[in-house]
Amino acid sequence: MSHGGGGHAAELYPENQIVAVGTLLAILGMYIAQFFPQVSMLLGGLLASAATVAGANTTRKVAAYGLGTGVPSIGMLSLGMGIISSVSGIYLVNALVKYFKVDSLVLYAIPIVVTVIALILGYIVGRLTVKPIGMKIPVMVESMTKLSLMGALSILGFCAAYAGGFLPDIIIPGSIKNGVMALAFIAAGMAILHPFNACLGPDESHRRTLTLAVACGFLTWFVFSVAKLDVISTVVSLVLWALVYREFIKQSLRDACAVYYTPELPKREM
Amino acid sequence: MDFSALLIPFVEITLAGAIINASVHFVPVGGAPAAMATSTGIGTGTTQLAAGAGFTGLMAAATIAAQSGVDIFNPLHWAIILLSGAVGSMIMLGLTMLMGQLIYVFGVGVVPAADKCERDPITGDYQKPYITPGTTGHGVPTVCFISGLIGAALGGIGGALAYVALIQLGFSPEIAGTIAVGFFFMNAVLASYNIGGTIEGFHDPKFKKIPNGIIASFVASLLTGAIVVLMSLGI
Repeated sequence: MSHGGGGHAAELYPENQIVAVGTLLAILGMYIAQFFPQVSMLLGGLLASAATVAGANTTRKVAAYGLGTGVPSIGMLSLGMGIISSVSGIYLVNALVKYFKVDSLVLYAIPIVVTVIALILGYIVGRLTVKPIGMKIPVMVESMTKLSLMGALSILGFCAAYAGGFLPDIIIPGSIKNGVMALAFIAAGMAILHPFNACLGPDESHRRTLTLAVACGFLTWFVFSVAKLDVISTVVSLVLWALVYREFIKQSLRDACAVYYTPELPKREM
Repeated sequence: MDFSALLIPFVEITLAGAIINASVHFVPVGGAPAAMATSTGIGTGTTQLAAGAGFTGLMAAATIAAQSGVDIFNPLHWAIILLSGAVGSMIMLGLTMLMGQLIYVFGVGVVPAADKCERDPITGDYQKPYITPGTTGHGVPTVCFISGLIGAALGGIGGALAYVALIQLGFSPEIAGTIAVGFFFMNAVLASYNIGGTIEGFHDPKFKKIPNGIIASFVASLLTGAIVVLMSLGI
Protein backbone atom coordinates (compact mmCIF):
# COMPACT_ATOMS: atom_id res chain seq x y z
CA MET A 1 0.00 0.00 0.00
CA SER A 2 2.55 2.56 -1.02
CA HIS A 3 1.01 4.40 -3.94
CA GLY A 4 1.36 7.91 -2.75
CA GLY A 5 2.58 8.02 0.78
CA GLY A 6 3.31 4.54 1.96
CA GLY A 7 1.50 4.99 5.23
CA HIS A 8 -0.41 2.14 6.80
CA ALA A 9 2.45 1.34 9.09
CA ALA A 10 1.31 -0.37 12.28
CA GLU A 11 -1.22 1.85 14.00
CA LEU A 12 -0.43 2.94 17.50
CA TYR A 13 -4.06 3.61 18.36
CA PRO A 14 -7.10 2.66 16.25
CA GLU A 15 -8.32 5.55 14.11
CA ASN A 16 -11.88 5.49 15.42
CA GLN A 17 -10.63 5.76 18.97
CA ILE A 18 -8.65 8.90 18.14
CA VAL A 19 -11.62 10.40 16.27
CA ALA A 20 -13.97 9.71 19.18
CA VAL A 21 -11.57 11.16 21.73
CA GLY A 22 -10.88 14.18 19.51
CA THR A 23 -14.60 14.87 19.04
CA LEU A 24 -15.41 14.57 22.72
CA LEU A 25 -12.48 16.72 23.83
CA ALA A 26 -13.20 19.43 21.25
CA ILE A 27 -16.89 19.63 22.22
CA LEU A 28 -15.94 19.66 25.89
CA GLY A 29 -13.52 22.49 25.12
CA MET A 30 -16.30 24.57 23.55
CA TYR A 31 -18.53 24.16 26.59
CA ILE A 32 -15.64 25.08 28.88
CA ALA A 33 -15.01 28.17 26.76
CA GLN A 34 -18.69 29.05 27.02
CA PHE A 35 -19.19 28.57 30.75
CA PHE A 36 -15.74 29.64 32.00
CA PRO A 37 -14.71 32.50 29.69
CA GLN A 38 -11.75 33.32 31.96
CA VAL A 39 -9.97 30.11 30.90
CA SER A 40 -11.46 29.93 27.41
CA MET A 41 -8.14 30.14 25.62
CA LEU A 42 -6.19 28.09 28.15
CA LEU A 43 -8.51 25.07 28.21
CA GLY A 44 -10.71 25.67 25.16
CA GLY A 45 -7.71 26.18 22.90
CA LEU A 46 -5.92 23.16 24.33
CA LEU A 47 -8.96 20.94 23.79
CA ALA A 48 -9.64 22.37 20.31
CA SER A 49 -6.18 21.23 19.26
CA ALA A 50 -7.38 17.66 19.98
CA ALA A 51 -9.65 17.99 16.95
CA THR A 52 -6.74 18.97 14.70
CA VAL A 53 -4.76 15.96 15.96
CA ALA A 54 -7.65 13.63 15.14
CA GLY A 55 -8.02 15.31 11.75
CA ALA A 56 -4.32 14.86 11.03
CA ASN A 57 -4.64 11.20 11.94
CA THR A 58 -7.53 10.70 9.52
CA THR A 59 -5.60 12.58 6.84
CA ARG A 60 -2.79 10.09 7.34
CA LYS A 61 -5.16 7.19 6.87
CA VAL A 62 -6.82 8.43 3.68
CA ALA A 63 -3.83 10.14 2.05
CA ALA A 64 -1.71 7.01 2.38
CA TYR A 65 -3.77 5.53 -0.46
CA GLY A 66 -2.46 8.20 -2.79
CA LEU A 67 -4.88 10.95 -3.70
CA GLY A 68 -3.10 11.98 -6.88
CA THR A 69 -3.38 15.64 -5.99
CA GLY A 70 -1.20 15.86 -2.92
CA VAL A 71 -2.06 15.72 0.75
CA PRO A 72 -2.88 19.46 1.13
CA SER A 73 -5.93 19.10 -1.10
CA ILE A 74 -7.79 16.90 1.35
CA GLY A 75 -6.88 19.14 4.27
CA MET A 76 -8.27 22.15 2.44
CA LEU A 77 -11.40 20.22 1.47
CA SER A 78 -11.84 19.27 5.10
CA LEU A 79 -11.58 22.88 6.23
CA GLY A 80 -13.80 24.07 3.38
CA MET A 81 -16.57 21.76 4.53
CA GLY A 82 -15.74 22.56 8.13
CA ILE A 83 -16.10 26.31 7.75
CA ILE A 84 -19.46 25.96 5.99
CA SER A 85 -20.78 23.62 8.68
CA SER A 86 -19.48 25.65 11.60
CA VAL A 87 -20.81 29.01 10.36
CA SER A 88 -24.09 27.44 9.31
CA GLY A 89 -24.51 25.66 12.65
CA ILE A 90 -24.30 28.97 14.47
CA TYR A 91 -26.72 30.72 12.12
CA LEU A 92 -29.18 27.84 11.78
CA VAL A 93 -29.70 27.60 15.52
CA ASN A 94 -29.96 31.37 15.62
CA ALA A 95 -32.63 31.15 12.91
CA LEU A 96 -34.57 28.65 15.01
CA VAL A 97 -34.64 31.10 17.88
CA LYS A 98 -35.27 34.24 15.87
CA TYR A 99 -37.57 33.03 13.14
CA PHE A 100 -39.39 30.06 14.60
CA LYS A 101 -39.45 31.36 18.20
CA VAL A 102 -37.92 28.26 19.76
CA ASP A 103 -36.76 28.56 23.35
CA SER A 104 -33.33 30.21 23.51
CA LEU A 105 -32.00 27.28 25.53
CA VAL A 106 -31.51 25.54 22.18
CA LEU A 107 -28.56 27.88 21.53
CA TYR A 108 -26.48 25.75 23.88
CA ALA A 109 -26.76 22.88 21.40
CA ILE A 110 -24.70 24.70 18.74
CA PRO A 111 -21.67 22.35 18.97
CA ILE A 112 -23.97 19.35 18.55
CA VAL A 113 -25.76 20.93 15.57
CA VAL A 114 -22.41 21.77 13.98
CA THR A 115 -21.32 18.16 14.48
CA VAL A 116 -24.46 16.86 12.77
CA ILE A 117 -24.22 19.27 9.82
CA ALA A 118 -20.53 18.47 9.36
CA LEU A 119 -21.29 14.74 9.35
CA ILE A 120 -24.07 15.14 6.75
CA LEU A 121 -22.03 17.46 4.50
CA GLY A 122 -18.93 15.27 4.77
CA TYR A 123 -20.89 12.12 3.99
CA ILE A 124 -22.53 13.63 0.90
CA VAL A 125 -19.30 15.14 -0.45
CA GLY A 126 -17.59 11.81 0.25
CA ARG A 127 -20.24 9.99 -1.76
CA LEU A 128 -19.80 12.51 -4.58
CA THR A 129 -16.05 11.83 -4.75
CA VAL A 130 -16.78 8.14 -5.20
CA LYS A 131 -19.60 8.61 -7.73
CA PRO A 132 -19.61 10.43 -10.19
CA ILE A 133 -15.99 11.50 -9.70
CA GLY A 134 -14.69 7.96 -9.23
CA MET A 135 -12.00 8.06 -6.55
CA LYS A 136 -10.93 4.46 -5.95
CA ILE A 137 -10.14 4.74 -2.25
CA PRO A 138 -12.09 2.28 -0.10
CA VAL A 139 -12.17 4.47 3.02
CA MET A 140 -13.05 7.67 1.11
CA VAL A 141 -16.62 8.19 2.37
CA GLU A 142 -15.92 7.55 6.04
CA SER A 143 -12.70 9.55 5.92
CA MET A 144 -14.45 12.51 4.33
CA THR A 145 -17.12 12.36 7.01
CA LYS A 146 -14.52 12.34 9.76
CA LEU A 147 -12.40 15.06 8.13
CA SER A 148 -15.40 17.34 7.68
CA LEU A 149 -16.27 16.82 11.34
CA MET A 150 -12.72 17.54 12.50
CA GLY A 151 -12.47 20.61 10.31
CA ALA A 152 -15.71 22.00 11.72
CA LEU A 153 -14.83 21.20 15.33
CA SER A 154 -11.36 22.67 15.13
CA ILE A 155 -12.62 25.89 13.53
CA LEU A 156 -15.49 26.28 15.97
CA GLY A 157 -13.27 25.23 18.87
CA PHE A 158 -10.61 27.84 18.21
CA CYS A 159 -13.21 30.51 17.41
CA ALA A 160 -15.10 29.78 20.62
CA ALA A 161 -11.84 29.83 22.56
CA TYR A 162 -10.95 33.19 21.04
CA ALA A 163 -14.36 34.78 21.54
CA GLY A 164 -15.00 33.20 24.94
CA GLY A 165 -18.11 31.25 24.03
CA PHE A 166 -20.13 29.87 21.16
CA LEU A 167 -23.43 31.67 21.65
CA PRO A 168 -24.26 33.70 18.52
CA ASP A 169 -24.13 37.06 20.30
CA ILE A 170 -20.63 36.23 21.57
CA ILE A 171 -19.02 34.41 18.67
CA ILE A 172 -20.40 36.45 15.76
CA PRO A 173 -18.90 39.78 16.85
CA GLY A 174 -16.02 38.13 18.73
CA SER A 175 -14.68 35.73 16.14
CA ILE A 176 -16.51 35.84 12.83
CA LYS A 177 -16.99 39.51 12.03
CA ASN A 178 -13.43 40.44 12.94
CA GLY A 179 -12.01 37.80 10.62
CA VAL A 180 -10.49 35.50 13.23
CA MET A 181 -12.36 32.70 11.52
CA ALA A 182 -10.12 33.11 8.48
CA LEU A 183 -7.15 32.54 10.78
CA ALA A 184 -8.88 29.46 12.18
CA PHE A 185 -9.41 28.28 8.62
CA ILE A 186 -5.79 28.35 7.58
CA ALA A 187 -4.06 27.68 10.92
CA ALA A 188 -6.19 24.67 11.75
CA GLY A 189 -5.91 23.60 8.12
CA MET A 190 -2.14 23.57 8.38
CA ALA A 191 -2.32 21.54 11.58
CA ILE A 192 -4.54 18.98 9.84
CA LEU A 193 -2.70 18.63 6.56
CA HIS A 194 0.91 19.24 7.52
CA PRO A 195 1.81 16.27 9.78
CA PHE A 196 1.26 13.56 7.21
CA ASN A 197 2.49 15.75 4.38
CA ALA A 198 5.77 16.16 6.20
CA CYS A 199 6.16 12.61 7.46
CA LEU A 200 4.95 10.54 4.52
CA GLY A 201 7.31 8.11 2.95
CA PRO A 202 8.31 4.47 3.09
CA ASP A 203 9.40 4.57 6.72
CA GLU A 204 6.51 6.68 7.99
CA SER A 205 5.63 5.69 11.53
CA HIS A 206 2.39 6.42 13.30
CA ARG A 207 4.13 7.56 16.46
CA ARG A 208 6.19 10.17 14.65
CA THR A 209 3.26 11.51 12.62
CA LEU A 210 1.11 11.74 15.73
CA THR A 211 3.87 13.52 17.63
CA LEU A 212 4.13 16.09 14.88
CA ALA A 213 0.33 16.36 14.79
CA VAL A 214 0.29 17.17 18.50
CA ALA A 215 3.08 19.70 18.00
CA CYS A 216 1.13 21.34 15.16
CA GLY A 217 -2.00 21.42 17.29
CA PHE A 218 -0.11 23.23 20.05
CA LEU A 219 1.38 25.61 17.52
CA THR A 220 -2.10 26.51 16.27
CA TRP A 221 -3.15 27.06 19.87
CA PHE A 222 -0.08 29.27 20.31
CA VAL A 223 -1.05 31.37 17.28
CA PHE A 224 -4.50 31.94 18.73
CA SER A 225 -3.10 32.72 22.19
CA VAL A 226 -0.89 35.38 20.67
CA ALA A 227 -3.82 36.72 18.67
CA LYS A 228 -5.86 37.00 21.86
CA LEU A 229 -2.88 38.46 23.80
CA ASP A 230 -3.44 35.83 26.48
CA VAL A 231 -0.07 35.64 28.27
CA ILE A 232 -0.64 32.45 30.26
CA SER A 233 -1.87 30.44 27.27
CA THR A 234 0.94 31.79 25.11
CA VAL A 235 3.59 30.63 27.56
CA VAL A 236 1.94 27.28 28.27
CA SER A 237 1.36 26.50 24.59
CA LEU A 238 4.88 27.49 23.66
CA VAL A 239 6.38 25.30 26.39
CA LEU A 240 4.19 22.34 25.45
CA TRP A 241 4.99 22.83 21.77
CA ALA A 242 8.73 22.94 22.50
CA LEU A 243 8.53 19.74 24.54
CA VAL A 244 6.60 17.84 21.88
CA TYR A 245 8.65 19.21 19.01
CA ARG A 246 11.85 18.19 20.76
CA GLU A 247 10.46 14.69 21.06
CA PHE A 248 9.58 14.78 17.34
CA ILE A 249 13.12 15.78 16.37
CA LYS A 250 14.53 13.02 18.56
CA GLN A 251 12.30 10.46 16.87
CA SER A 252 13.18 11.77 13.43
CA LEU A 253 16.89 11.55 14.15
CA ARG A 254 16.48 8.05 15.53
CA ASP A 255 14.54 6.89 12.47
CA ALA A 256 16.77 8.64 9.96
CA CYS A 257 19.78 7.01 8.36
CA ALA A 258 23.06 8.69 7.61
CA VAL A 259 24.54 8.68 4.12
CA TYR A 260 28.32 8.40 4.35
CA TYR A 261 29.19 7.87 0.71
CA THR A 262 27.52 8.78 -2.54
CA PRO A 263 28.83 6.82 -5.51
CA GLU A 264 29.19 8.51 -8.87
CA LEU A 265 26.45 7.90 -11.38
CA PRO A 266 27.40 5.16 -13.87
CA LYS A 267 28.68 6.53 -17.16
CA ARG A 268 26.14 4.53 -19.17
CA GLU A 269 23.14 2.36 -18.47
CA MET A 270 24.15 -1.06 -17.08
CA MET B 1 -38.79 37.77 3.74
CA ASP B 2 -40.32 36.81 0.41
CA PHE B 3 -39.56 33.67 -1.49
CA SER B 4 -37.80 35.11 -4.55
CA ALA B 5 -35.29 36.96 -2.37
CA LEU B 6 -34.09 33.55 -1.24
CA LEU B 7 -34.48 31.71 -4.53
CA ILE B 8 -32.20 33.92 -6.64
CA PRO B 9 -29.17 33.60 -4.32
CA PHE B 10 -29.85 29.87 -4.05
CA VAL B 11 -29.69 29.48 -7.84
CA GLU B 12 -26.62 31.72 -7.98
CA ILE B 13 -24.69 29.75 -5.41
CA THR B 14 -25.54 26.44 -7.07
CA LEU B 15 -24.35 27.75 -10.43
CA ALA B 16 -21.27 29.23 -8.79
CA GLY B 17 -20.21 25.80 -7.56
CA ALA B 18 -20.57 24.30 -11.02
CA ILE B 19 -18.66 27.20 -12.63
CA ILE B 20 -15.82 26.96 -10.09
CA ASN B 21 -15.54 23.26 -10.75
CA ALA B 22 -15.48 23.77 -14.52
CA SER B 23 -12.87 26.52 -14.18
CA VAL B 24 -10.36 24.24 -12.49
CA HIS B 25 -10.39 21.91 -15.48
CA PHE B 26 -9.01 24.68 -17.71
CA VAL B 27 -6.02 25.57 -15.56
CA PRO B 28 -2.78 23.90 -16.70
CA VAL B 29 -1.75 22.15 -13.50
CA GLY B 30 1.55 20.33 -13.63
CA GLY B 31 1.89 19.28 -10.03
CA ALA B 32 5.20 18.06 -8.65
CA PRO B 33 6.57 16.87 -12.04
CA ALA B 34 6.10 20.37 -13.48
CA ALA B 35 8.02 21.81 -10.56
CA MET B 36 10.98 19.82 -11.95
CA ALA B 37 10.09 20.88 -15.51
CA THR B 38 9.29 17.31 -16.54
CA SER B 39 5.61 17.93 -17.22
CA THR B 40 3.63 20.67 -18.93
CA GLY B 41 1.94 23.27 -16.77
CA ILE B 42 2.53 25.29 -13.64
CA GLY B 43 4.51 23.53 -10.96
CA THR B 44 2.02 23.28 -8.15
CA GLY B 45 -1.17 21.45 -7.21
CA THR B 46 -4.66 22.13 -8.49
CA THR B 47 -5.96 23.27 -5.15
CA GLN B 48 -3.30 25.89 -4.60
CA LEU B 49 -3.61 27.32 -8.11
CA ALA B 50 -7.38 27.38 -8.12
CA ALA B 51 -7.42 28.82 -4.64
CA GLY B 52 -4.95 31.55 -5.56
CA ALA B 53 -6.89 32.56 -8.65
CA GLY B 54 -10.23 32.23 -6.89
CA PHE B 55 -9.25 34.30 -3.88
CA THR B 56 -7.89 37.08 -6.05
CA GLY B 57 -11.16 37.07 -7.94
CA LEU B 58 -13.06 37.11 -4.67
CA MET B 59 -10.99 40.04 -3.41
CA ALA B 60 -11.49 41.98 -6.64
CA ALA B 61 -15.23 41.33 -6.54
CA ALA B 62 -15.47 42.27 -2.88
CA THR B 63 -13.56 45.48 -3.46
CA ILE B 64 -15.94 46.56 -6.22
CA ALA B 65 -18.96 45.47 -4.21
CA ALA B 66 -17.81 47.61 -1.28
CA GLN B 67 -17.58 50.81 -3.34
CA SER B 68 -20.18 53.36 -2.39
CA GLY B 69 -23.03 53.59 -4.86
CA VAL B 70 -22.80 49.97 -5.94
CA ASP B 71 -26.19 48.29 -5.62
CA ILE B 72 -25.84 44.53 -5.47
CA PHE B 73 -29.37 43.99 -6.81
CA ASN B 74 -28.85 46.16 -9.90
CA PRO B 75 -28.16 43.76 -12.84
CA LEU B 76 -25.57 46.09 -14.37
CA HIS B 77 -23.65 46.46 -11.11
CA TRP B 78 -24.00 42.72 -10.59
CA ALA B 79 -22.34 42.09 -13.97
CA ILE B 80 -19.55 44.56 -13.19
CA ILE B 81 -18.80 42.80 -9.90
CA LEU B 82 -18.63 39.46 -11.68
CA LEU B 83 -16.39 40.86 -14.42
CA SER B 84 -14.03 42.47 -11.94
CA GLY B 85 -13.74 39.10 -10.23
CA ALA B 86 -12.88 37.52 -13.58
CA VAL B 87 -10.28 40.18 -14.39
CA GLY B 88 -8.64 39.96 -10.96
CA SER B 89 -8.38 36.23 -11.28
CA MET B 90 -6.99 36.41 -14.82
CA ILE B 91 -4.29 38.88 -13.79
CA MET B 92 -3.23 36.63 -10.94
CA LEU B 93 -3.05 33.44 -12.98
CA GLY B 94 -1.60 35.20 -16.02
CA LEU B 95 1.25 36.60 -13.92
CA THR B 96 1.82 33.22 -12.28
CA MET B 97 2.10 31.55 -15.67
CA LEU B 98 4.29 34.33 -17.08
CA MET B 99 6.77 34.26 -14.20
CA GLY B 100 6.77 30.48 -14.20
CA GLN B 101 7.43 30.55 -17.92
CA LEU B 102 10.38 32.94 -17.49
CA ILE B 103 11.90 30.59 -14.93
CA TYR B 104 11.31 27.53 -17.11
CA VAL B 105 12.80 29.12 -20.20
CA PHE B 106 15.67 31.20 -18.83
CA GLY B 107 16.29 29.43 -15.54
CA VAL B 108 15.76 25.73 -16.23
CA GLY B 109 16.41 26.09 -19.94
CA VAL B 110 13.55 24.12 -21.47
CA VAL B 111 11.37 24.86 -24.48
CA PRO B 112 7.66 25.23 -23.70
CA ALA B 113 6.02 22.20 -25.30
CA ALA B 114 2.67 20.50 -24.81
CA ASP B 115 2.59 16.73 -24.62
CA LYS B 116 -1.08 16.03 -25.19
CA CYS B 117 -1.33 17.41 -28.74
CA GLU B 118 0.65 16.98 -31.94
CA ARG B 119 0.35 20.65 -32.92
CA ASP B 120 -0.60 23.57 -30.75
CA PRO B 121 -4.32 24.13 -31.56
CA ILE B 122 -3.85 27.91 -31.42
CA THR B 123 -0.50 28.69 -33.02
CA GLY B 124 -0.26 25.53 -35.08
CA ASP B 125 3.34 24.90 -33.99
CA TYR B 126 4.66 21.34 -33.82
CA GLN B 127 5.08 20.22 -30.22
CA LYS B 128 6.33 16.64 -30.23
CA PRO B 129 9.92 17.23 -31.47
CA TYR B 130 10.60 19.67 -28.65
CA ILE B 131 9.69 17.34 -25.83
CA THR B 132 12.65 15.92 -23.94
CA PRO B 133 12.49 12.11 -24.06
CA GLY B 134 11.24 10.68 -20.76
CA THR B 135 9.22 13.76 -19.87
CA THR B 136 5.65 14.75 -20.61
CA GLY B 137 6.32 18.22 -21.94
CA HIS B 138 7.55 21.28 -20.11
CA GLY B 139 6.81 24.96 -19.62
CA VAL B 140 3.53 26.68 -20.38
CA PRO B 141 2.88 26.64 -24.16
CA THR B 142 0.45 29.06 -25.78
CA VAL B 143 -2.53 26.72 -25.69
CA CYS B 144 -2.04 26.07 -21.98
CA PHE B 145 -1.67 29.80 -21.31
CA ILE B 146 -4.93 30.62 -23.11
CA SER B 147 -6.68 27.72 -21.40
CA GLY B 148 -5.38 28.93 -18.04
CA LEU B 149 -6.72 32.43 -18.70
CA ILE B 150 -10.16 31.01 -19.56
CA GLY B 151 -10.07 28.93 -16.40
CA ALA B 152 -9.06 31.91 -14.29
CA ALA B 153 -11.87 34.02 -15.75
CA LEU B 154 -14.42 31.30 -14.98
CA GLY B 155 -12.99 30.82 -11.49
CA GLY B 156 -13.18 34.54 -10.79
CA ILE B 157 -16.78 34.65 -12.02
CA GLY B 158 -17.66 31.63 -9.88
CA GLY B 159 -16.06 33.05 -6.75
CA ALA B 160 -17.66 36.45 -7.31
CA LEU B 161 -21.05 34.83 -7.93
CA ALA B 162 -20.86 32.93 -4.64
CA TYR B 163 -19.85 36.12 -2.84
CA VAL B 164 -22.61 38.17 -4.46
CA ALA B 165 -25.19 35.50 -3.61
CA LEU B 166 -24.14 35.57 0.05
CA ILE B 167 -24.25 39.36 0.14
CA GLN B 168 -27.72 39.30 -1.43
CA LEU B 169 -28.85 36.95 1.31
CA GLY B 170 -27.92 39.67 3.77
CA PHE B 171 -24.63 38.44 5.20
CA SER B 172 -22.04 41.01 6.13
CA PRO B 173 -18.97 41.10 3.82
CA GLU B 174 -16.72 39.35 6.38
CA ILE B 175 -19.04 36.39 6.76
CA ALA B 176 -19.80 36.24 3.06
CA GLY B 177 -16.08 36.21 2.30
CA THR B 178 -15.36 33.48 4.85
CA ILE B 179 -18.13 31.22 3.58
CA ALA B 180 -17.21 31.90 -0.05
CA VAL B 181 -13.62 30.86 0.63
CA GLY B 182 -14.72 27.58 2.18
CA PHE B 183 -17.18 27.04 -0.64
CA PHE B 184 -14.52 27.77 -3.24
CA PHE B 185 -12.08 25.29 -1.69
CA MET B 186 -14.69 22.56 -1.53
CA ASN B 187 -15.53 22.83 -5.22
CA ALA B 188 -11.93 23.31 -6.35
CA VAL B 189 -10.83 20.15 -4.55
CA LEU B 190 -13.74 18.17 -5.97
CA ALA B 191 -12.58 19.26 -9.41
CA SER B 192 -8.98 18.36 -8.68
CA TYR B 193 -10.05 14.88 -7.61
CA ASN B 194 -11.93 14.59 -10.86
CA ILE B 195 -8.79 15.57 -12.78
CA GLY B 196 -6.66 13.26 -10.67
CA GLY B 197 -3.41 15.19 -10.53
CA THR B 198 -2.30 16.96 -13.67
CA ILE B 199 -4.03 18.45 -16.69
CA GLU B 200 -2.76 20.59 -19.56
CA GLY B 201 -5.90 22.48 -20.51
CA PHE B 202 -8.87 22.08 -22.78
CA HIS B 203 -6.92 20.01 -25.32
CA ASP B 204 -6.07 17.34 -22.74
CA PRO B 205 -8.03 14.04 -23.04
CA LYS B 206 -8.73 14.29 -19.29
CA PHE B 207 -10.80 17.40 -20.02
CA LYS B 208 -13.58 15.09 -21.27
CA LYS B 209 -14.20 14.07 -17.65
CA ILE B 210 -15.51 17.57 -16.94
CA PRO B 211 -19.25 16.59 -16.76
CA ASN B 212 -18.62 14.31 -13.77
CA GLY B 213 -16.94 17.12 -11.88
CA ILE B 214 -19.68 19.59 -12.72
CA ILE B 215 -22.41 17.17 -11.59
CA ALA B 216 -20.58 16.50 -8.32
CA SER B 217 -20.12 20.21 -7.63
CA PHE B 218 -23.69 20.94 -8.63
CA VAL B 219 -25.02 18.48 -6.05
CA ALA B 220 -22.61 19.65 -3.37
CA SER B 221 -23.49 23.29 -4.08
CA LEU B 222 -27.20 22.49 -4.03
CA LEU B 223 -26.76 21.19 -0.50
CA THR B 224 -24.57 24.13 0.50
CA GLY B 225 -27.04 26.54 -1.07
CA ALA B 226 -29.88 25.03 0.95
CA ILE B 227 -27.85 25.29 4.16
CA VAL B 228 -26.81 28.87 3.41
CA VAL B 229 -30.36 29.99 2.58
CA LEU B 230 -31.66 28.50 5.84
CA MET B 231 -28.76 30.17 7.66
CA SER B 232 -29.69 33.55 6.28
CA LEU B 233 -32.91 33.43 8.31
CA GLY B 234 -30.78 33.62 11.45
CA ILE B 235 -29.03 36.91 10.70
